[in-house]
Amino acid sequence: MGTVSSALGRRSVRIALAVLAAVVLLAAPLLLPAFANQTLVRIGVYAVAVLGLNIVMGYTGQVNLGQIFFVGLGAYVTAYGVNQGWNIVVVFIAACVSAGVVGLLVALAAARLGGLAIAMVTIALPIVGVPLAKRLDEFTGGSQGISARFSDAPEWSGLYNDQWQFYIVLVVTAAAFLLARSLVRGKYGRAFAVVKENEAVAASMGISPYRTKVLAFTIASIFGGASGFLYLAAVQYTSPETLSFGHSISLLAAMVIGGAGSIAGSLLGGAYYIFVPQITNAIDPNLTTLSQGAILLAVLFLLPGGLVSLPRALRRLGRRRSGRPTSGNPPKTAPAPHPVPEAALEGPDNKERQDRP
Amino acid sequence: MGTFIQLVVDGLSTGSIYAALALAIVLVNQATGLINFAQGGMAVLSAYIAYAFLGLGVPLPLAILVAVVASFLLGALAERFLVRRFERGDPDTAVVVTIGLLTLVTGISALLWGYNNLGFPSLFPLTSVEILGAVVSVRSLATTVTIVLIMVVLQLLFLRTKLGLALRAVADNPGSAAFSGLPVGRLLMVGWGLAATLGAIAGVLVAPQLTLTPGMLDTALVYALAAVILGGLSSPIGCVVAASAIGVLENLVAVYVPLIGHDLKIAVPFVLIFVILILRPQGLFGRKVVVRV
Amino acid sequence: MKISKRPGGVLGIVAMTSIVALSLSGCTRDGAGQGGGSGSSPGITDSAITLGITTPLSGATAGPGKCTVAGVSAYFGAVNAAGGVKFGDGKTRTVTIKSYDDAYDPQKSLANFQQMVSDNVFAATAGLGTPTNRAFREAAISQKVPQVLVMTGDPLFSDRKQSPWQLGFVPIYQNEGAAFGKLLSASKGQHKVAILSQNDDYGKGYVAGFKEAIKDASNISVVGEQTYEATDTSVDAQLTQLASSGADVFFNAMSVTPLTISALQKAQQIGWKPSWFLPSNTSSPTAILEPGGAAAYPGIYSVSFAKAPQSPAFAKDPDVTKFLSELKQYGNYPDMPAFPHCMWSYMVGATLEQAFKSMTEPTRDSFMTALRNIKDLKAPLMLSGTAVDTTVDGQPAVSSVVVQKYNGKGYATAENFG
Repeated sequence: MGTVSSALGRRSVRIALAVLAAVVLLAAPLLLPAFANQTLVRIGVYAVAVLGLNIVMGYTGQVNLGQIFFVGLGAYVTAYGVNQGWNIVVVFIAACVSAGVVGLLVALAAARLGGLAIAMVTIALPIVGVPLAKRLDEFTGGSQGISARFSDAPEWSGLYNDQWQFYIVLVVTAAAFLLARSLVRGKYGRAFAVVKENEAVAASMGISPYRTKVLAFTIASIFGGASGFLYLAAVQYTSPETLSFGHSISLLAAMVIGGAGSIAGSLLGGAYYIFVPQITNAIDPNLTTLSQGAILLAVLFLLPGGLVSLPRALRRLGRRRSGRPTSGNPPKTAPAPHPVPEAALEGPDNKERQDRP
Repeated sequence: MGTFIQLVVDGLSTGSIYAALALAIVLVNQATGLINFAQGGMAVLSAYIAYAFLGLGVPLPLAILVAVVASFLLGALAERFLVRRFERGDPDTAVVVTIGLLTLVTGISALLWGYNNLGFPSLFPLTSVEILGAVVSVRSLATTVTIVLIMVVLQLLFLRTKLGLALRAVADNPGSAAFSGLPVGRLLMVGWGLAATLGAIAGVLVAPQLTLTPGMLDTALVYALAAVILGGLSSPIGCVVAASAIGVLENLVAVYVPLIGHDLKIAVPFVLIFVILILRPQGLFGRKVVVRV
Repeated sequence: MKISKRPGGVLGIVAMTSIVALSLSGCTRDGAGQGGGSGSSPGITDSAITLGITTPLSGATAGPGKCTVAGVSAYFGAVNAAGGVKFGDGKTRTVTIKSYDDAYDPQKSLANFQQMVSDNVFAATAGLGTPTNRAFREAAISQKVPQVLVMTGDPLFSDRKQSPWQLGFVPIYQNEGAAFGKLLSASKGQHKVAILSQNDDYGKGYVAGFKEAIKDASNISVVGEQTYEATDTSVDAQLTQLASSGADVFFNAMSVTPLTISALQKAQQIGWKPSWFLPSNTSSPTAILEPGGAAAYPGIYSVSFAKAPQSPAFAKDPDVTKFLSELKQYGNYPDMPAFPHCMWSYMVGATLEQAFKSMTEPTRDSFMTALRNIKDLKAPLMLSGTAVDTTVDGQPAVSSVVVQKYNGKGYATAENFG
């Protein structure tokens, strides 16, 4: 009885906090300087792309080096639709659906292959995508790219463009994250995890590894398409450079840096993708490559589980430190308060991440 | 007909660039079970080291030798102090570590030598000979021969020597390798060192044609990866054959299939991979891997 | 258990977002006009003006990218050392250059532009790249920030109606291709032309200009046309194919240094020795023609508007020696420039200085008016026969080029083909 009421109490506190955070998020763009909003908008764009990548790679264990292709496809479809004067909701759906359909077709074939072969097939997407985008210049504007503006703040809103864009990105990003969250917590999430762990076991449990992989890949592509839509909302321009292979590699790095197999990690990955170039530019614009490599390696060296494991690493560090002086007699207070926040904060993560040795 | 043969010969010489890098990737995969994205960047750094010694007045063969030795050390050190920490962890993290290494190494090359194209002298003259009506430069002929030699040496190393066997054992199953008394850590270092050495040779072989820049091998890396997958991860012969096939087919398709043309010819190796892997999942020459449950 | 966790996860995400958001906030939103005096634009005070450059400083195009920063920095470094620029409003100001790396990524160049606005930069200038400049063109227009004298041959930037806050610096690609086309059509003989071009607006612009110029010339025919990708490692197949066309003139719109060298080597190996045309940015005598063995060809033609410091003809030229020493001292660029972008951005410095001298108010409006009013400026390093002229709608700051022929060491102006 007591535990139930305390759980209820905690739950209501959490809901209150969630409401508070939502209010903060809604109010933030009104208070923040333009550049902060613009940065947050770009973080949202790439967080959704990383989230998709996380579903197929972090959760289902299928290496995907082509996620940026779907971002680019979504961006091109959005640009085309906007310039054709389609309704913006239709444009958004078209961006997601076209990326999803292409993703499905690729996955139907690629999911037959395992491991590295699937990596090579997905590498091909951006590699072939760039010359293809140039070839189809009627739709894509060729190498000069294509501009489309739909994300400028309308008159009636009284907002600045960056604030309006923030809200567009916030809506799509929040929806994407909530969707992804319920997906990986549900039936399909468990199927993903089993397929990642061992395909034969999955098959013996009645889960088709092939279908599961196709599903994960298709969902990842749809998220890529949504991210492309957001890309156009934020950048208002796209060109073949958008889908260059190097960015796909950067997305992969961002996913692992954020935390593979973690929803919150995807957001951190998106933040990493945007912040690191800004930080390295501030350090010395002539040494960006060097400092980016150093930062990436340093982060992984300190946090092999990604940025999302920072709180846990800190706690572990703290425990070790506080543990030392009292090593003679076991601390009475330490074990008691710890499990509670750990269960609350770390619980979901533990469940999401397939903790490896 | 003359054009056709010339295209085939040209394709073989382009393929030799991919093959050089592909061999290094195969070696590191055989020795550590990892795909090393930094292989190209490390090869470029090796070529820069040779370039630096050339600048000091060291003769070319000696400068290459110095670079080869230095690369062995750098490769071994990279394994010991960087990759070692991630070898037992999540493979995705290990791959991203090699991506980080690629970025870092490229940054170091750029810091020390800048982004300008630096001319690199070749061991072989630029004169050309005629074979079957096609013109081949002695340089690309010699490059190809060198690569075939390396391939043979590697094949022998893997299949005929104790070191090769030990390297493969460590990559396959580090746990039982250690159990049977193999010095796993040292073998992994040797594997990375050898791969870096091979990369150094690849770097100095192709640098005269591509000119030295920090990103010299970025495009070649993609082709090399394609060749490795196509040829089978475990087979040096396979990846050289695949790299040559890619080079030749690309040329022929670009010229004789106007719909594809020179802009989309890069799709050729990937379509090839796709078709072949559906038919033969272990690659052209790879050994079949039996997955135990 | 499961239910109680749900808000926790959302909370984590939300909390982290807010942390990120809060960590970003420094100052509050400011309107326009954070300058020195009242009524002046951001980025300009009574004693200084700040310019921003977003350009590739890493990646495949970093070589020319670094040059775009080095040239402007060299020019204004020397000007600042001499006291600064006396502006049209009577005040003397020093010029600060802020550079940002965009790695040739449009998304990053837009981010850099947004950063510039937040860093109070007066104007963006000299950045290299068509997609990267296009990515923030509309943002620059809507925020009324000048994006001027940029290094792209894309004509869009010189169209005043569409790009009121923009101006290109280098000749549009079409101009360069057309200059050679005119020279060729004026020649007496019959010529068969083979074309190899980069598969983007760069290559297409060159080819379009060239074809337009030879359209009415009955003595010129195009017998073969191929493209390559800037990322290709080899163009051997294209050369083999074009060689079989029997062309005696080769129009090679190529912007990649190693490919140009190996193309020069390859064609002579397979016994094809046409007259060559090369664009201005891949015609360096020491970096490209010598290693490529260009002396084997009957003639190498190129277009230019800048003196080539590598060329023996200009070794003692006062412009060139001053340029090289300033590049070393202020531009952080000790080597002999391998790309013409170093010279071009030095000229950008001179053009900007000219605009500063005649802008009567410390505002962006006044700057644009002054910038669009420069005629016949002989910027340092310019070849005779070329000049900066910003008054013509549809044309970039430099639209005149001189066709040159390689003479085994450097270039000499070519009056006739052959």
